[in-house]
Amino acid sequence: MKLHNFYLVIILSLLVACAAEKQIDLPGLNPGQQIQGRPNCAAVFPQGKWQFVHSINFTVKNGTSTTVLGVTSLTEKIINCALITVEGLTLFEAAYSKENGLEIRRAIPPFDNPRFADGLMSDIQTIFLSPTAGDVQEGQITGALAVCRHTDDSGRIIDVLPEVDDCWQIKSYSSDMTLDRSVVGQSCRKKSSTLIPEYLELNSYGQTGYTLKMTLIRADIF
Amino acid sequence: MKSLTLLFTTFLLFLAPISSFGSAVQDQVHLHSIRADFVQEKHLRILAKPIVSTGIFAFQAPRSLRWEYLVPIPSILLMHDGKLSKFVKTDGRFIEDQGIGLDAMQFMLGEISNWLDGRFTDNEMFVASFPDKQTILLEPREQSLAGLISRIELRLADQKGVLNSITIYEGSDSYTRMTFNNAVINKIIPSALFIQK
Repeated sequence: MKLHNFYLVIILSLLVACAAEKQIDLPGLNPGQQIQGRPNCAAVFPQGKWQFVHSINFTVKNGTSTTVLGVTSLTEKIINCALITVEGLTLFEAAYSKENGLEIRRAIPPFDNPRFADGLMSDIQTIFLSPTAGDVQEGQITGALAVCRHTDDSGRIIDVLPEVDDCWQIKSYSSDMTLDRSVVGQSCRKKSSTLIPEYLELNSYGQTGYTLKMTLIRADIF
Repeated sequence: MKSLTLLFTTFLLFLAPISSFGSAVQDQVHLHSIRADFVQEKHLRILAKPIVSTGIFAFQAPRSLRWEYLVPIPSILLMHDGKLSKFVKTDGRFIEDQGIGLDAMQFMLGEISNWLDGRFTDNEMFVASFPDKQTILLEPREQSLAGLISRIELRLADQKGVLNSITIYEGSDSYTRMTFNNAVINKIIPSALFIQK
C-alpha cells in the first residue's frame, strides 16, 4: 500500500464511523437506588492541569498500522495536542478551546485535512473530558457494573463505567442506540484523585472502524 | 506527500558522515562505517518537559542501515541489499510499520551516496554554511520546506568524522536534538545487524 493511500485510510478511519457493523445495543439501566454509594465517575477524567504522553498505535480494519507519539495537554480552558513520529518529526499540533474553537498550529499533509483534526479532537474529548451536555443518570448495567449515563439533546448516549476490572471504560452510543465507540482502560493507577490507565484502547466501530492502542509513557500534573 | 518525504528526509541527515561536509570544516575522513548511541530530545511549546528517546544507529557503505530506538517506543528501521523495513514493538513483539519513512529512505540512499563522495554541498534541499569550525548550518532552499523546517544545526565532535549533535528546528519553539555518544568509525559491522530485528 502506498504511503499516501495508507494515510488516507488512517484519516478516513479517524472520522467517526458510519453505520455500526458489529452492532452492540445499549444495555438497560437499573436505577441508582439499587447500588450502594454513587459511582465515582469523576475519577475517570483528569481534573486540573495535566499532560500525557502516549505511544499511540493506529490500526485500521485491514490490519495496517503505524505508531506515533501523542501529547495531550489539558487545562480547564484549553486542550493542546500533538502527534510526533518516533524520530521526532511533528506531524500535527492543534489547540481547542470553547472560546476560540479549533486552532491548527501545524499539520503536515495529509494531516492538514480539517476533518482529521475534528476526529482527533473528538477522540481526545471522549477519553479525557467528562461529558457535559444533557441528562445524567446513575445506576447499574448488565454484570452489576456501576455506570453514569449521559444523554445529550440529540439522543446520543455516553456510559461512563468507573469500576471495570482494575480500571474504567467509556462507551458511546449513537442516537439509534448502537455502540459506535468504546474506550477500555487497563491497569489504572490513582494519581491525585484521577484513575490513570497504563494502557487504553479506543475502538471505533463501523465500516471505517479503527483501533487506537495507547500506552502511557508519562502523566504529569503541571 | 512530497513535503512529508522531504521533511522526514532531513531527520536522516545525521547519517551523513562528516567527511562529506568538506575540507572547509576539517580534514577529510574516509568513512566506511559508523556506529553510535544517541539520545534524542523532542522540544515542543506544549510540552512541559522534553520527550527523551534513546537508541543506537549503525551505517555501513554502501547501503546498510540500522536505526533503532530503545525507549520510549522500541522501533527499528532496517536497510540492507536495497530492502527497507520498519518495525515497531507492539503487544510485546516487533510488527512491521507501514507508516512514514520508507519511501523517504529510498530517496536518502542517493543522498548518502553523494555524501560518501564528499558532495554534501550538492544537496538540492539545503544550503550549507559554516559559521564556525564546529558548526554546520543547513537552511532550506525552498520556501515550501522552510515552512516545515527553519534550519538544522550540526555540531561536530572532537573525533574527526563524527557528529556530536544535530538539532532540527521546526519553528521558534519546536526542535529535535540528537546527541551522539560512543561513536565507532570504520570498523566492519556484521551484516546481521542490518537484518535482525
